[in-house]
Amino acid sequence: MGDGVDSVSTFFKRDIGLVSKPGRYLGIEVNARHKPLSTPGTNCVLVYPDVYEIGMSHLGLAILYEEINDREDSMADRAYLPWVDMQELMERKGIPLFGLESRVPLGLFDLVGITLQHELTYANVLRILSLAGIPLRSAERRDSDPLVVGGGPGAYNPEPVADFFDFLVLGEGEEVIHEILDAVREWKHMGKKDRRGFLRRCASIPGVYVPSLYRVHYRPDGTVSGIEPLEGAPLPVHKRVVPDLNEKVKPRRPPVPLVESVHDRCSLEIFRGCTRGCRFCQAGMVYRPVRERSEDLLHGWGRELVSATGCDELSLSSLSSADYTRINSLAERLSEDLERKGVAVSLPSLRTDSFSVELASRVGRIRKTGLTLAPEVASPRLRAVINKELSDRDLLEAVGAAYREGWRKMKLYFMVGLPGEEEGDVEAICGLVRRIMREGDGGGPPRGLRLSVSVSTFVPKPHTPFQWARQISLPETARRHFILKEGLRIKGVTWKWHTREMSYLEGVLARGDRRLGPVVEAAAREGCLDNWSEFFSWERWRRALEGYGLDPAWYVERERGEEEIFPWEHLSAGVKKSFLWEEYLKALRGEPTPDCRFADCTDCGACDGKEIVNRLAGGGR
Amino acid sequence: MKRLLVKYYKKGDAAFLSHRETMRVLERALRRSGADLVFTSGFHPRVKMSFSPALPLGVAAEAEYLEAAVEGEPDLEEMIKRMNDALPEGMGVTSLQVMPGYMPKLSRWARYGLYRVEGGGGALHLCMRLDGEGGGRLRDALQLLKERLGVEAEAVTRVGIYASRDEILEENPGKVYFYHAGKGELEEMEDSGAG
Ligand code: SF4
Repeated sequence: MGDGVDSVSTFFKRDIGLVSKPGRYLGIEVNARHKPLSTPGTNCVLVYPDVYEIGMSHLGLAILYEEINDREDSMADRAYLPWVDMQELMERKGIPLFGLESRVPLGLFDLVGITLQHELTYANVLRILSLAGIPLRSAERRDSDPLVVGGGPGAYNPEPVADFFDFLVLGEGEEVIHEILDAVREWKHMGKKDRRGFLRRCASIPGVYVPSLYRVHYRPDGTVSGIEPLEGAPLPVHKRVVPDLNEKVKPRRPPVPLVESVHDRCSLEIFRGCTRGCRFCQAGMVYRPVRERSEDLLHGWGRELVSATGCDELSLSSLSSADYTRINSLAERLSEDLERKGVAVSLPSLRTDSFSVELASRVGRIRKTGLTLAPEVASPRLRAVINKELSDRDLLEAVGAAYREGWRKMKLYFMVGLPGEEEGDVEAICGLVRRIMREGDGGGPPRGLRLSVSVSTFVPKPHTPFQWARQISLPETARRHFILKEGLRIKGVTWKWHTREMSYLEGVLARGDRRLGPVVEAAAREGCLDNWSEFFSWERWRRALEGYGLDPAWYVERERGEEEIFPWEHLSAGVKKSFLWEEYLKALRGEPTPDCRFADCTDCGACDGKEIVNRLAGGGR
Repeated sequence: MKRLLVKYYKKGDAAFLSHRETMRVLERALRRSGADLVFTSGFHPRVKMSFSPALPLGVAAEAEYLEAAVEGEPDLEEMIKRMNDALPEGMGVTSLQVMPGYMPKLSRWARYGLYRVEGGGGALHLCMRLDGEGGGRLRDALQLLKERLGVEAEAVTRVGIYASRDEILEENPGKVYFYHAGKGELEEMEDSGAG
C-alpha cells in the first residue's frame, strides 16, 4: 500500500489547513474505531455520497460500521464526498479519496459500500468513484479493484446507476452483511480470482442483487419488454428483513461528528416500518412490516447512547414516532432520566394531531425551537387519495395545542402535484393556512405565531401505489407555485418551495432505467452535489439526456398502464404489485385502506405470517 | 456551586479543529465526565462554561483553559480520566482544579498568549495580546517575524496563556519577541533578570 498512503499523510501535514472546515477530513471522531486494514481480513469502507455533515447523521451506516468492526476478521472505515474546495485540492495534488480513519485510498479496500439515500446524490456516487480512481463501471473493474456495493432505499430501483455497482443489497443490512463478509473473506483467501464467478456466488445470497446478471430488453417505445436473469440469478431478488429488532441493538457507540452536522443529535431507533399506508410514501411501503423494539430495551439503550456520546439531544427516531405503542411511557421515562443531565428527548417525525403535539411538549420541555407538522395536503378529497386520515380540525387542534404549549415557530409541509390534484386543491392550502392564522389559538388568531410553509413537488416512487402515476410538468409546477405565491401573502407566514427542476430530475431518476447510466456518467463529469442548490444545474442534466436521445418527460410525465413492466420488476420490496395496483385504483376512487396494526391485514405481501409480522411492543395484533 | 478550571492540550490533527468544534468536543467530554454540571437557563440549556480565546486553525496548543461550573464534590481524578477517554486523538486534559473564590474569571485574566514558532531548524518565542484591543492577528505577527528575522514558521504552538507579561518572563522561556499589533512592531521582551 505504498504511495497512496504516504502521499495522503504528506498532504495532511502540508495542505489540510488550506481547505474549509478541515475537521471534516480528520477522522479523529470520538468512538471512531481506527481498526487497521489487514491482509487476511476483509477491509471495508462505508461511504455516504454527500458531505460529512449530512453523512455523519445517517443511522444505517452507523449500524453497519459497528456490525463490521465488531467482527474479528473485518474492519470498516468511513468516507464522504469532500466539499468542492477539497475535491479541487485533492485533484490538483493527485490525492485519491481515502478512508477518514486509515487515510488509505478507497481503491485499496476490499469493499466500498455506498448508500443510496436520494436520487440527487447519484452524480456524487460517480464523483466519489472517480476521485478514488476506481473504474466507474463494474464491467471495467479488475479482480484487484474493490467491490463496489450499494444499499439503502435507492437499491429498490438502482437501475440508473446499476452499471456502476458490482452488487446491491435490498432491504435491511445487519444480517446480510455477515453473509457478504464471509463470502468476501473466502474469495480473498482464494486469491481474489474470477470476479464474475464470485459475483455469481454472491447472487445466491438472499437480498443480493448483481445487476450484471440481468439483461434488460426494451421495446421500440423505450418501455421494458422483459428482464432476463443470467447464469442462474434469482428472479425476483427479495429484500432482507430482520424479523425481531430486539435482537439487533446497534449502534451502541457511534462515532460523534466533529463538525456540526445537520441532525446534531443521537438517534435511538424505536421501531422500523410503518403501515399507515400513505400512498405516496416509499418508506411506508418498503420498510413493512412494523417492528417495534421493547420499551425496556430502548430505555436502557437510550441512556447508554447518551453516556457513550455526550450528546445533548436524543431523538426517538422512526417513520412516525408517536405511533410507537409505548411512546408515552418510554418518552416520559427517558426525559425524566435525561432532563437533569441537560439532554433533550425529541420526536423528529410527528403525526399531525394534538396527541403528538402534547407528547412532544411533555418530553421536549427544555427545548422549544420549532415544531414541524406534515399535513401534506389541504383538501378532504386529496386526503382520501393519499390515504391520510386527517381533518382540518385535527390540524387546527394540533397547532392550537402547540401554541398553548409555547411554540411560536411552526413549520408545515405540503405537497403539490398529487394524482387527481386540481387548482382548487392547491388553493385549499392557502385557505387552510389562512384559517390557522385566524383561528389557530382555540378560535382566535395565534398572536406572534410565525408559520413557515414548505412545499415540495410530488415525485412518484417505485414500489408505491403511485408508481404508475404521472408527475406534473415544469410549467404545471410553476402554475401551482404561482397560486401559492399569491395566496400565501399572509402576515406571519413565509413559504418555501423545492426547486422545480430538482424535483423533475428526481422524477427522471426515481423511475429511471439502465439507459440512464451514461447520462448520469456524463452529468457527473461536469459537476455533482445536485442536492445543493448552489451547484444544481438542470441544464447540465438536460444536455446529458439530450446527448443520449432520452426525453425526460417520457420518464416523468407519462402515466403507466397496468401492463407496464417496470425497470425494477425483478426487485421485490415485499409488497406485491397487485396490492399496489389495487391501492392505486382505490386512490383514484378516494377509498381508504385501514392500518393493519389496528385493523385486518390487507394482504400487502410484506409479512410471511410466521417470523415476519407486525410486532408491537404494547401487545395487540 | 464550584468553578472548575480545566487545562487541556490540542495537538497533531486536532489542531485543525475550529474553535467551535473544539468547544463541542470539550462540552461532550464534560457531559461524560460524571460531574454534576450546571446548565444555562432558557429554551436551549447549555453547559455553563467558558473558554480561553480562539486559536487560529492549525495552531497546536499545550495549555488551553476551560472554566465550567459544577454542583457537589467533583472527583477530579475520575473526571480527568473520563474526559480523556471522551476526547478525540490529539486532545487531552492535563489538570483540573477547583478555582478558589478569589481567582478571577478566565476571561478576566487570559490576556497574553505565548507561542513557540518553529522554522528553519530553530525555534523562538512570540508573545502577543489575546484580547480585542492591542491584540493582533497571529498571521500578521508571523509575517513580521519573517520580514524582520527571516524566520519562516513551519509549526506554531501556543504554549501558554498568561495574565501579564511578567508572568511569562517568570517562566524563563529565554528570548521572547513581543508583537505590538497597534504599532505593527516586534520588540524583544525585557528579561526581568530572574535568570
Ligand atoms: S402483510 Fe398484512 S399485516 Fe403484514 S404489513 Fe402487509 S397488510 Fe400489514
